[in-house]
Amino acid sequence: MTGARRLAVPRQTRVATDADGQPCAVDGQAVDGIRETWLLEDRWWTEQPLRRRYWEVVTTSGRDQVVFHDLIAGDWWCQR
Amino acid sequence: MAAAPKLITCVLLPRFELVVAAGGRTELLGVPAAIAPEPGSQQVGAVSATAEAFGVSAGMRLGEALARCQRLTLIPPDPAGVEERWEQMLIALESIGAAVEPLRPGLACFDARGLLRLHAGTAGRGQATGRGLGLAGSALADQEIEAVLTAARRALGAPVRFGVAPTRFAALAAATGARARQPLLLTGDARQAREFLAPMPVELLRDVAGDGELAALPEALERLGIGTLGELAALPRAAVADRFGRSGLHAQKLALGGDLPLRPREAGEVVRETLELPESSSGQQLERALELLIDRLLARRERRGRTLRAVVLSAVLVERGGTWRQRMSFRESLSDPLRMRLALTPRLQLLPAPAQTLGLAVERFGPPTSDQQALLEEPARARAARLREAVRQVRAGAGPDAALRVLQIDPRSRFPERRSVLTPFER
Repeated sequence: MTGARRLAVPRQTRVATDADGQPCAVDGQAVDGIRETWLLEDRWWTEQPLRRRYWEVVTTSGRDQVVFHDLIAGDWWCQR
Repeated sequence: MAAAPKLITCVLLPRFELVVAAGGRTELLGVPAAIAPEPGSQQVGAVSATAEAFGVSAGMRLGEALARCQRLTLIPPDPAGVEERWEQMLIALESIGAAVEPLRPGLACFDARGLLRLHAGTAGRGQATGRGLGLAGSALADQEIEAVLTAARRALGAPVRFGVAPTRFAALAAATGARARQPLLLTGDARQAREFLAPMPVELLRDVAGDGELAALPEALERLGIGTLGELAALPRAAVADRFGRSGLHAQKLALGGDLPLRPREAGEVVRETLELPESSSGQQLERALELLIDRLLARRERRGRTLRAVVLSAVLVERGGTWRQRMSFRESLSDPLRMRLALTPRLQLLPAPAQTLGLAVERFGPPTSDQQALLEEPARARAARLREAVRQVRAGAGPDAALRVLQIDPRSRFPERRSVLTPFER
C-alpha cells in the first residue's frame, strides 16, 4: 500500500481573463456564468503564505468548475 | 502574404434602453427624460439628448440629476423588455450570417469580412454612402462593405449607426462619430486606426468599458492632463503600468490601435413561458406560478429531452412599475422540476414589487437528460456482502490500491486539498 493520496489536489490550468481579471475561459471553454468568488489567505505568519482568489464558474460545456488564482505566484489552478 | 485586416463592424443603437423603456411614448424622447434608478440603486439610467443638454448623464445620482433639471421625467426601467428586444436585434443580425459579439444592449460587433462575398452580389453595387477614411482605397471594397451594412440595416429595421474598423475599439469610435444613414468606414490597418483614434477624447474608453476597471480611467487621465487617446498612446509603457496597472496597459493598447479578438456568442434558441397573474401577486401565489412555469417549460417540445443549464426569471411589475429580471446558472444542468424550484424560489424574494406577469425563459440548454435509477435496491446486508466480494475480486485483479475509500482528515479546512485522503476500503 502506498502513502495516503490527497483528494482535490489542485492542477495547473489555462485560464483567460478579461480586463477586470475575471475568468472568461477555462481550458479553452468559454465561461457561461460566474456563480461565486472568494478570497482565501493562510499561513501569512510564515515565509510561505497562501493567498488565493477562488472562482466558481459554469462553462459553456456545462461543467461547474472551481479555479483559483494564486495571488503570490500568479498561476491559475483548477480544484474541481 | 499578410492577412487582410479585419473589418470589425460596430452596430450602435443610441439610447437603446431609453427607447425600449419609453415604449410607444416617443414624445418622451424629446423632453428631458431619464430611466429611473433600479431598486436598491440611486443612479439614473440612460438619459435623453434634451436631458444631456441640462448636464444630466447616465449613472448620475438621482438627487443631482433632479437638481440640474427640475423638469426631468423619470421612466420606469424595463430590463426584461430591453433584454427581449436586444435578443431580437441580435437574432436579426445573425440572420444575415454575422457572428455577433454583444457588448451591451444597443452595442454589438461582428466581423464583416466573411460576409462580403455573401452580400456584395445581392444587396448592391450601388453608390457608397459611407465616409471612407483610409483604405486600401478601393471604392469597390467600400461598396462591398456598404452591401453588408445595408443588409444589416434592413434586418434590424431601426435607426442604427455603423462604424467599420480593424479593431473593436476603433469601430466603436467610428460608430460614435457616424450618422444614422452615413456609416464611417476605416478600412486600413492598425496604424491607420491609431491615427484615427489619436484626436479622440479618452472619455471614449468609458463607452467600451461598461462597469469594468477601464470606466474609472478617463477621469484619472483627464486629471493628469491627458485628454486624448493620442496623448495616452505616446506615454511610456512602463509609466502607464506603474500608475494604472493592467487596466492602464489595456487602455494604451486600445489607443495604439490594438484590441482583444472578437468573442462572438453562440447563437441560441428562445424557449420562453409567461403567465399573466389574475391579481397582482406575491408570496405563495408567485411560488405556485413559478411551479407552473417550470412544468410548462419542461414540457415544451423544443426542449427535446435536454436539461436546462441557465434560465432567466422575469416579471412585469404592477402599476407601470417597469420590469424585473434575474439570470440564474444552475450548479449542474437540471431537468428535475423540484430541484429547479428549490433553486429559483429564493430569487422571487428579490422582486421589488408585486408582479402582474411572471416569465421563465431558457437561456442555455445542457446535455440530454437520462433517467437516474437507483443502482442497488437489495437490503443492506445483501448489498454489503456483494460489495465485499466485489472489492476482493477487484483487489485480486488490480492490486491493493484498486479499492479505496475517502477519509476525511480535516473536513473544516478552508483549503480543499487538506480535507480528505484516500485509504484502503474496508467493510
